[in-house]
Amino acid sequence: MSDIQYTPRELLACVAARLIKDGESVFVGTGLPLVGALLAKKMHAPNMMAIYECGAVDPEPRVLPWSVSCSWTTYKAPIILSMSSVFGHSRAGYADVGFLGGAQIDMYGNINATCIGDYYHPKVRLTGSGGANDIASLCERVIFMGLHLPERLPERVDYITTPGYLDGPGARERAGLVGGGPWRVITHLGVMGFDEETCRMKLISYHPGVTPEVIQQFTGFELIIPDDVTETPKPTEEELRILREEVDPNQLFCF
Amino acid sequence: MSHANDRLFDHKLAREWKLKKSRAEKDKRMTLQEAIATLVEDGDSIVETGFAYVRGPMAAYWEIGRQRKKNLVGIFTPGGMNTAWHEFGGLEGAHVAYVGVEMRGLISPFRRGVEAGTLKVYSEWSHGALSLALRAAEQGVNYVACKSMLGTDLMRTNPYVKEARDPWTGEPVCLVPAMYPDVAIFHVHHADKYGNSRIWGPSVNDTAIAIAARKVIVTCERIVSTEDIRSNPYQVIIPHYCVDAVCEVPYGAYPGDMPGMYYFDRRLQERVVRVEWKTRESTKEWYEKYILGTKDHYEMIQLIAEEEGMNVLEYMKRLEQLSCDASYFGLGYWGVGGERDWRYEEVAKRAI
Repeated sequence: MSDIQYTPRELLACVAARLIKDGESVFVGTGLPLVGALLAKKMHAPNMMAIYECGAVDPEPRVLPWSVSCSWTTYKAPIILSMSSVFGHSRAGYADVGFLGGAQIDMYGNINATCIGDYYHPKVRLTGSGGANDIASLCERVIFMGLHLPERLPERVDYITTPGYLDGPGARERAGLVGGGPWRVITHLGVMGFDEETCRMKLISYHPGVTPEVIQQFTGFELIIPDDVTETPKPTEEELRILREEVDPNQLFCF
Repeated sequence: MSHANDRLFDHKLAREWKLKKSRAEKDKRMTLQEAIATLVEDGDSIVETGFAYVRGPMAAYWEIGRQRKKNLVGIFTPGGMNTAWHEFGGLEGAHVAYVGVEMRGLISPFRRGVEAGTLKVYSEWSHGALSLALRAAEQGVNYVACKSMLGTDLMRTNPYVKEARDPWTGEPVCLVPAMYPDVAIFHVHHADKYGNSRIWGPSVNDTAIAIAARKVIVTCERIVSTEDIRSNPYQVIIPHYCVDAVCEVPYGAYPGDMPGMYYFDRRLQERVVRVEWKTRESTKEWYEKYILGTKDHYEMIQLIAEEEGMNVLEYMKRLEQLSCDASYFGLGYWGVGGERDWRYEEVAKRAI
């Protein structure tokens, strides 16, 4: 392999992009998920369609936007619906993938974006759900992106803002949730998925320069580490070229 | 629980109020100062419109600050810079779906207030569920049964929603009651003097909110003729009969984004939210200087422009032009600002 130089964020954008299939609809927020989605659209998924919670559907990518609602986001969208409509359409089955962030994610893929510590006496008050709860409740597959630190991946989150597998197998169904739940977790150390039987987080691949042992050390619960974990493929020259020249030429997000 | 919250889900009160509103085409133009003074009362619940920093009625929010309204209850779907009211007793509590500036992070006054227990969070929502509460009010239904919030702590920390069984299938649903805020203030591109309001870009929840709210103020970039509205009603999202006041406030969304006209003043917003509002004292200082220390929105913009050493409005217009071309708006947007100062064709050709 050649010595391709890339930043950690560039790797994450490439990993995110590879998880999107052509023809899928992707409920997306700003930042790295959007960069990943646009990279996918310019590489292998030209028919990928983005959905934003402000109501914009399938806008043309042009300039990387700063908000899920601003005019750079909605550029040339063929239709701009309302907030309740796009979530309704997700429930109806028009949203394949949802991208989420958050302060904490636990071993069952539950996400906290509300508070650190006790809800009524929070150590840190965070933003709150926004559309995250709806995306995870209604989209078919959910991808989480975030930093990998023990306090960010605790055994149980301080507050469940956004449902993963709740407390284990069958819980989503019992709660009446619609979508398939958490599917992938992309961090700066590796890519995780979920064990089909136990619904617990498992390692799929570790990023170049990292080992499964390191990932376990940076995880606040016991991670399932199967024998067949592999190294995350590095960004290709083509991916990096498109990322740097077309998707994020000013390096706003992939610095 | 505050008085504002008792009214929030009272559909009888909401209907009685609206039965009394005039349906006549009545000239509702007034100054922003007058509209805020007469229609926003201490203790009112006030719902966020647009998308907080996209087409948010910032001029009106700062005017509420100048008039030192007290104990308002915010409905944040999402909420933004107006949470700074809290530092002067302007914001007593909130119903929260989201307060923040996306990638730019948390908003300090809100965070500080909640952590200190001085800013009460009455209920926790998802965007989808809160948008349905407003939509239910618009659609005239008592509640909707949805699939958001189920199984999470949002259900536990929201006293208004209920889990129930779908009577047909038996599966769990989250019941979201219709919500009727006291006040809604919108910033739109065009309005006629009666309040019919046209926008470009996402309406987000605005049509639902306009019908749900008891008191409605429209601020607009430009007053247009009713003939103009009636000959092209397709982007009209608010009907005149729910509107109580119409105020012409160009650049009324500054420092937020006004689709097709001007982009965020992102540098200012980032500096304010991250640096200048870092502590209670620094927030107060900022607020005293820029809001309480200026007589209106334009004096505030002038002050910012002088400090930045640039025409911030021109800068924002140019940023917006980077993303726009004539086809975005079908007819192009000559004359949106009232003058032919939109050289988008030239700029679009040069840009990107």
